Amino acid sequence: MKHWRGEVAFAPPAAADDGLAIANLRAWRLCEPISKRRYTVVKLETRSGTAGFGEGGPAVATDVAEAKSAVTGRRATDAEFIRHQLAAWPAMEAAVNNAMLDLAARAASVPIYQYLGGPTRFKARVVADVEGEDESALARSVERGMEQGFRAFSFPIPTRDAMWRMQAYTDAIRKRLEKLKGAAGAEADFVLDANAMLTPGDASFIATALERNHLLWFDEPTGVLTNDALSRISDESVTPVGLGRKVHDVATFQNLLRWGCVDILRPSMGLNSIRQIRRMAAVAETHYVAVGPHHSGGPIGTVAAVHLAASLPNFFAQQVPRPTAEQDRAMRAELTSGNQETAVDGFAQLLNRPGLGIEVNEKALAKYSEETL
Amino acid sequence: MIRREFLGAMATAAGGLKNRRSSYRIGCGCDLAPAAALPPGSDVFKDVGSKLRITNMKVFGITLDEKIARSDRPYVFVKLETNQGVVGWGEATLEGKASAAMACVNDLHDFIVGSDPMQSEHLYQLMYIGSFYRGGPVLGSAISGIDQAIWDIRGKVLGRPVYELLGGPIDARGVRGYYHAQAWTLDAARELGEQTREAGVTALKFQLPTYMEWIETNAKLTRAVKSMETIREGLGPDIDFAVDFHAKPSPSVAAILVREIEPFHLLFAEEVCPPENVRAMQRVAKRSTTPLATGERLIAAYGFNDLIELGVVDVLQPDIAHVGGITALWKVAALADAAGIRMAPHACEGPIGGVASLHVDAAIPNFLCQEICGAVQSKEINSVWEDIMGFPAMRMVDGRYPLPKKPGLGFEIQEAVLKKYPFQGTRPFPPAFHADGSLAAQ
Repeated sequence: MKHWRGEVAFAPPAAADDGLAIANLRAWRLCEPISKRRYTVVKLETRSGTAGFGEGGPAVATDVAEAKSAVTGRRATDAEFIRHQLAAWPAMEAAVNNAMLDLAARAASVPIYQYLGGPTRFKARVVADVEGEDESALARSVERGMEQGFRAFSFPIPTRDAMWRMQAYTDAIRKRLEKLKGAAGAEADFVLDANAMLTPGDASFIATALERNHLLWFDEPTGVLTNDALSRISDESVTPVGLGRKVHDVATFQNLLRWGCVDILRPSMGLNSIRQIRRMAAVAETHYVAVGPHHSGGPIGTVAAVHLAASLPNFFAQQVPRPTAEQDRAMRAELTSGNQETAVDGFAQLLNRPGLGIEVNEKALAKYSEETL
Repeated sequence: MIRREFLGAMATAAGGLKNRRSSYRIGCGCDLAPAAALPPGSDVFKDVGSKLRITNMKVFGITLDEKIARSDRPYVFVKLETNQGVVGWGEATLEGKASAAMACVNDLHDFIVGSDPMQSEHLYQLMYIGSFYRGGPVLGSAISGIDQAIWDIRGKVLGRPVYELLGGPIDARGVRGYYHAQAWTLDAARELGEQTREAGVTALKFQLPTYMEWIETNAKLTRAVKSMETIREGLGPDIDFAVDFHAKPSPSVAAILVREIEPFHLLFAEEVCPPENVRAMQRVAKRSTTPLATGERLIAAYGFNDLIELGVVDVLQPDIAHVGGITALWKVAALADAAGIRMAPHACEGPIGGVASLHVDAAIPNFLCQEICGAVQSKEINSVWEDIMGFPAMRMVDGRYPLPKKPGLGFEIQEAVLKKYPFQGTRPFPPAFHADGSLAAQ
């Protein structure tokens, strides 16, 4: 896989005296203490001593080794090179390319969104994850979210009891939605997250039944990402469909868009760099389709996502993970020297400081690292 | 001047820049109260944007002597000035409609003057969507000129060539180009081949020998095929060549030609039929292995979507002076890349558009070849371009256009130089007629 490059012949690496040339890559494989949510943080150091950080999804040591050999000696601006070189290691493509962007924007003394051609907006809508074991815990999660300034929530679809008829299952979903709406008050909006667990037929049934509930969208209704399967949902229902948390190539989205199967693109921050999602967004724009990146990783990824949001014309909302356990929340706040995953009236504020605009706490990286590479 | 002065606390606060935005809302039936960010350039971005503001926009029409440049295409240059002294240049040249393009640039004045040039995407959207009437070559060219100038400013302020901001260069040695050429006889083609090899140039583009009707005679079909056979024979196997059909044939005639020229292995056949009807072009594409190219008359990424997603062509040729500048050319390239389509950007404008194209070319992995209206042998027009740009713009070295190294688009233009080529008005794209007096497509 070493030479996975397609047809693109890239030029040799930067000259040794180039201040933006990358001299070293370090990586921390992180794991939250209670939720066991995993993600990888990469630090790139240049020959001139500056550093940039990026986050990707879970990775193993060999992935990191591939990333290190690809990026060492390249300039921090060689984004297309890394996007191609690491296409087979999407978590590393995300982490390394975003760290390069952090470096390049810092070197230019501007925030990432400005480096990319933004801002297109002065704040970014966020959708908070709702976590909890049962209906009451979920409702408490929503209440806490409202207090923290969130106004939109993504809640998990109930697990289907094998004895339930579809109608009973749909009633259970509706009941959960009503409970959470009650906890949030009238102004909140909701995303139903099916986590790819439904068949296309069942997903279509539910999407149609819930049309009048005006969900923001029905997320990952099925894991079957074929045109035929998804058309069953999009042909029969007008509930918007969000898709693509596992997708890490632009062409897959282009195909789904062409067949009218998706209403909001949901590429994961853990599997796609900011620059890669910008390409997906360019395709979506011509279909009048919005982008709302999926995010199940850490706080550095959330910050990167807000920069991305402020650079896109067709951004709609950014998902923010919100662990229930105090230890997990403490870890996230420690990593970025203070909680960056906040909202005011449903929107995240932009960080108008160079690069990502945060200080990454390396001691905390070491403290929560399963493996440092 | 250092960057901190452009963007940071040392910059003087923006504001007080006059335009007419505040008088926009006069209450027609489709007029809703804006939620927040309008009128454009208001201070809603003050906490997240830069302190840089566009203070002035100038449009220049540049007419060259008729003996060295066609009278249908005076260059249209756009200059943006800012409150920090940094300026940006772009090109909005539109064949046959220079005055309209200049007027349209001025129509966009209120969107631009007073705005923060770091917000290239927001301003692009403002010009395209905010204009209500979307697309079309006049608006497309006006947006293109302004967008290039905005990116020129962005690059200068960030201290980087534009191609680096876009994630390139993929190859720092430069980008592959092709020149225009003519060779109607075997001897001429042989001589051209020698000159081309000597210059290190690897690709050329030719024209069809005649205009075409929607059904064609044996004589004209044979002549067209023969012309391409002669070119291949004269150039030899190692020089790539493309042929610009210039939308002269109908799809029915084009289908015959692109099938019969398969043995000559063209780099691509360009605009084999008119561009409005994607499915008509698809009919041609289905029946031939000759790679097809099109796109110079299409505006914004929206204009390319069907072509890309229906898999009609192999190569796309947006023109950076019409498609919507750096922003739109990059977006088209992103769409095309996902579909496995190469980019050979069109350029029949002046030197700014050409150089701006190089920046996008250098940063896109699906780049094939860059056009310019120039020939293997340097001509008088190349001296004019050098006079305007301060360097031999868009002349290849070893088959590649060298990449500018300086921040922004990488050149400085003195207004005084432009005064040497005052605007003389514009003339229509010269029409052509068949033997019976009816209009020929081109």
